[in-house]
Amino acid sequence: MDQTTTTTAKKVLCIEDEHFIGELYARALTKGGYEVKVVIDGSEGLKEARTNQYDIILLDLMVPNVTGMEILKQLRDPSQPALKAKIIITTNLEQKEETRTAIEQQADGYLIKAEVTPKQLVGILDTLN
Amino acid sequence: MDHFHRLKRQVQHYIFLLGTLAVAFLVGGAWVIRRLFPDNNDVLVSGGLLLFGWLVVWLLSVILTNYALQPLETIWRAILHVTPGHTSTAPPNLEKSKIGQELVTTLALQVYQLASSNTSLQPVKPTSNSSELESDIFHNFPLPIMAVSKNQTISIANEAALKFLGLTKEDVFQKNLYSVFDLAFSDERTLDNWLQHCRQNKATDQHFWQRVRLKLADQTTVKQFDLAAAYSKENPNDIEVIITLFDQTARYQIDDEALDFIALAVHELRTPLTALRGYIELFDDELGDKLDPELLGFMHSMQTSAQQLTAFVSNILNVARIQEGQLSLQLTEETWEAVIKNAVDNMALAAKLKGISIDYTIAPNLPSVAVDKISITEVLNNLLDNAIKYSGSSKLIHINAGLTNDGLVETVVSDDGVGIPSSVMPNLFEKFHRNHRNQARIGGTGLGLYLCASLIKAHGGNIWLKSKEGEGTSVGFTVQPYSMLAGKLKDSNNKGITRNAHGWIKNHSLYRR
Repeated sequence: MDQTTTTTAKKVLCIEDEHFIGELYARALTKGGYEVKVVIDGSEGLKEARTNQYDIILLDLMVPNVTGMEILKQLRDPSQPALKAKIIITTNLEQKEETRTAIEQQADGYLIKAEVTPKQLVGILDTLN
Repeated sequence: MDHFHRLKRQVQHYIFLLGTLAVAFLVGGAWVIRRLFPDNNDVLVSGGLLLFGWLVVWLLSVILTNYALQPLETIWRAILHVTPGHTSTAPPNLEKSKIGQELVTTLALQVYQLASSNTSLQPVKPTSNSSELESDIFHNFPLPIMAVSKNQTISIANEAALKFLGLTKEDVFQKNLYSVFDLAFSDERTLDNWLQHCRQNKATDQHFWQRVRLKLADQTTVKQFDLAAAYSKENPNDIEVIITLFDQTARYQIDDEALDFIALAVHELRTPLTALRGYIELFDDELGDKLDPELLGFMHSMQTSAQQLTAFVSNILNVARIQEGQLSLQLTEETWEAVIKNAVDNMALAAKLKGISIDYTIAPNLPSVAVDKISITEVLNNLLDNAIKYSGSSKLIHINAGLTNDGLVETVVSDDGVGIPSSVMPNLFEKFHRNHRNQARIGGTGLGLYLCASLIKAHGGNIWLKSKEGEGTSVGFTVQPYSMLAGKLKDSNNKGITRNAHGWIKNHSLYRR
């Protein structure tokens, strides 16, 4: 009898307010074997990231209510329990020097959305351990 | 009436007076001789008259010269007095001049004023102590000035400097320059690097930097300025370098805002492009095998166009950054073959649509390179894009990478396409330059080669181009092996970060396309 090992799908939280980008990412990632939840609001995204365990968080910087930078800062706050999830910034906005430094210190990745197609994004996430 | 005209009138007055006296003497003398010798007109009388007349003229010339040249003498003495090596010369007496006294006094004082920068001599009495004067000038000088000693501590900073930097004397005095100011220079020619160079090679030197940035203690205010520095190896006061700042915050702010606008425009363009590329890819995946080859071809054309537009948008932003001196590269160790493969994969679809294939040859044992992966991929993409555009009837593009004699990694992108007329070759790496003959047929902005040249230069490499009309074009560029820069890179703060083609991922190998 074959031994089957059940591997649970990796959970991805996509905090993204552009509806179509969230839709495209969700579709491609689901097809790639990920379990995806898309949240369009910053404060909701922050809450979601804290309450449910995710493996990967795709974080847009321009989201309503709480900015992506603030979310990043709060999720990486050393006084809070450490978050297991890897945080990948997904943005189309070029960052200023100061912001870039902060992102480099706190995030696990940084991608320009226009330069990476949904399928390529799946390929990138596949390389993360 | 000014001083000079008054002098002129006085001289005229004296000459007229002396001339009248001379005439009066001569007429009087002739009258006296006639009276003494009424009947004798012989040679003796004529000779005596001539001698008397000559004596009168000599006397008058002496008096006239003495008076007329007195102003000149005073000024001469003033000049001599301030001349180095003539300090024993007595100062001129400004009240001695009988004529033109106001003009002479003004000119003599002017001489002292001009010479006062390097002498403490004064016409009658010195007005103040020279070191007090210098200190006064230093502290009230309207530009920020600081003096830094050999141990890198700030010895002195003037009022303007403290005000500009929002600091007190206690904040800066005897503090290390680099701990007080976190100066950011636009390239590696920093103040510190220049000082190190000076210490080894110079007795004195001066240097000027533009676009230096400094974040103030409040962590929000950013000052931008030009900076001039003067180095002196053997300064008796232990001052090694004197720094002056020229505030340009307002001016450079305008440039920053222009760049902000471009960054915003780029963002607005990228958002719909993300959707376009995503949906086209989705359609390709879902419908690709159901479409007839013609429609599939159309879809691939859409895909390529969206990709080209995305690349162009990034080019605009990069050119703006280069122009504003804000392009910063993060060099990391990369396997050159992987970088080339990635670029070839990027452009494969665009090439395929024109029936072109791209192949590459990498020399065995090529060392890893130090590159900013995003920027260098843009260079390769631009060169491949050009090769595809100007391919003509040629169907092959070849990339060849190997080591030069200098140990640099050289990469050459060659095509057998339409080539470039020799007349336009010299301007090819300039902005907005395009091959005019092909302009109507082939799209482009003229930014590509300019961008490539700027990015390669920023990598510390060289770029060259060889072309013959009708026979094809080869563009080659060099980058440095990682081993050449390893020491420098280890000191930088980008440890643990690997950049990939369109972003970076920490501590992970590059993603595969």
